[in-house]
Amino acid sequence: MKKDYLPMALGFWGVAIPLIVFGFLFCRTTAEGVTVFLAAAVFMLVGYFIYRAKH
Amino acid sequence: MKLTPADWIFIAWYFVLSIGIGLYYSKKAGKSISEYFLSGRSLPWWLLGTSMVATTFSSDTPLAVTGIVIKDGVSGNWFWWNFMLGGALTILFFAHLWRRAGVMTEVEFIDIRYSGKPARFLRGFKALYLGVPVSCITFGWVTLAMVKIIQIAFRTSGLTAMTVCLGLTIFYTTLSGLWGVVATDMLLFGVAMLGSIVLSVVSVEKAGGIGAIVAHMKTLLAQSGHDYLSVFPSLGQAIPLAFFVALFVQWWAVYYPGAEPGGGGWIAQRMLAARDSKHAVKGTLWFNIAHYVIRPWPWILTALAAMVVFPELVTAPVGTMEAAYPRMIGFLPAGITGIVIASLFAAFMSTIESIVNLAGSYLLNDFYRPFIRKDASEKHYVLVSRLLVILVALLGAGFSYVLGSVRMGWQLIMELSGGIGLVLLLRWYWWRVSAWSEIAALSSSGAMAVYLQRFPDSPLVKALAAWLEKAGFKVDTWGVDIILIVAFTTVVWLTVTFLTAPDDKGKLLSFYQKVRPGGFWGPIARLNGRRYKLNAYPFLGWALALFMILCFLLGVGKLVFMNWAQGAGYIGAGAVAAFLLSKAINKIDWEGQP
Repeated sequence: MKKDYLPMALGFWGVAIPLIVFGFLFCRTTAEGVTVFLAAAVFMLVGYFIYRAKH
Repeated sequence: MKLTPADWIFIAWYFVLSIGIGLYYSKKAGKSISEYFLSGRSLPWWLLGTSMVATTFSSDTPLAVTGIVIKDGVSGNWFWWNFMLGGALTILFFAHLWRRAGVMTEVEFIDIRYSGKPARFLRGFKALYLGVPVSCITFGWVTLAMVKIIQIAFRTSGLTAMTVCLGLTIFYTTLSGLWGVVATDMLLFGVAMLGSIVLSVVSVEKAGGIGAIVAHMKTLLAQSGHDYLSVFPSLGQAIPLAFFVALFVQWWAVYYPGAEPGGGGWIAQRMLAARDSKHAVKGTLWFNIAHYVIRPWPWILTALAAMVVFPELVTAPVGTMEAAYPRMIGFLPAGITGIVIASLFAAFMSTIESIVNLAGSYLLNDFYRPFIRKDASEKHYVLVSRLLVILVALLGAGFSYVLGSVRMGWQLIMELSGGIGLVLLLRWYWWRVSAWSEIAALSSSGAMAVYLQRFPDSPLVKALAAWLEKAGFKVDTWGVDIILIVAFTTVVWLTVTFLTAPDDKGKLLSFYQKVRPGGFWGPIARLNGRRYKLNAYPFLGWALALFMILCFLLGVGKLVFMNWAQGAGYIGAGAVAAFLLSKAINKIDWEGQP
């Protein structure tokens, strides 16, 4: 049953990883960097919660 | 604006992820039409609530809010914030009843509530009306908005980008049904919010920071007397009629996609797909919080920043004001632009996929199955559902070419169904409402809307406008039209209700026993031998839900403008209301819930 939510969790992790890379490569200011890295952390966390969610 | 390879990589990766998630569920969705349209009624609250808000977050929404803020200030948002009154009503009074009704679509409700030929006619008519024109108008305005974004941002026709995006969305939606829709909605909402937050941060920086925005708004206040930062309209001058109508009429009277009185459309579809009634209630609550509290502030900030960066916007036409949102994308750095463009596609896709899936459910469950082929196999119905989804998508795409403007689309829907809200609310709680009541409401509302379009300067309109002006309102056509439509429709459907026979008592009894609504069911309750009461808790919960949403909305606004103490105060008050609300929800009649 856990498989039902796995693609969604992978989707969130799949966005978080390029966000981290893009944050390092392209953010010009501290505010941009903080926003992108925080967003990546939120995506990682939401992905984890979805993965652990009860069926 | 030109995209760099890094932007394209993120956009392409985003499409791979969304389509991959959608396709994963295609096998599961193909098992039955209950799986295809309701995910087997197994959705948890967080998934169905997020799907509701993702669908309501369309590509045109940030543009519309930007236009509103630049034209009328933050308080202009009451044009749509007023719907929180109806949203809270749905949480407390209707979400659990929808799930208890156990129907497949909003239209099938007619079959369990009304009897006879009028009910049969109404079901077929509403299936076609909601499945084709309403869905196509909604599809059309969302697509048109996305085309405009592409045109402003890239200065190309956007035809190829739109065709590819629409084609891919329809492809996975057709195969994966509601499972694919809600699963991708999770990611799409995340990406859509990500894009709007990133854009707001860059926009605020470009404007010189929050302090510079506040200073600019103070200058504008001194110059024009208009407080753009105020969340509430200023008193002491003529009240705009549109604001009055929005606050006291619109939320209970107008059937607007995503804010239907008592729940309808994709909101009802997700409540029906809930694991049980409690999940339906909690999911709808989460939707309302995400919809009114989480979504708007990044757009508002972007709009206010745009007013600093482009000072000429304040006196520009509305179209130019709305275009400020995509114009701000031009200030994003390479690589990050791709994230924001993907977020706009996400907003667009999450709405389109839900519209076509929902329209397919009406056409299959409420037209094809009862009227064309009654006893076919599940496999057959799933196949027809998929074909219907494709058909609606093609019709909707065609409609976007003939629709004049985004505004024309939603205004058309709001006026055509401007007065039917009350009948949709009362049909749950008053036994006397019949299929004739709904037929009368629909036809009189449509007739009045057509009359007002045809004769905008009729003596009736002029007389009401003059009277309202005398009463101290700042009159506008929209407000006058809605008042006339609602008043006329209400008189007509109430008259028709009392002049026609009530529904068959056996049908009403079976509905009463299944749904257990409470309210005005006197003769049926006596027939049942037991009366289900509507206790005070939903009313208390309604007030608490509104207070909570308002506190959170104001609290986030204060925090965004770095008023930390006030922000924390509002959030704290909202948290207390949330705690009390959870107690009130627990006191709702949960007996016999599925």
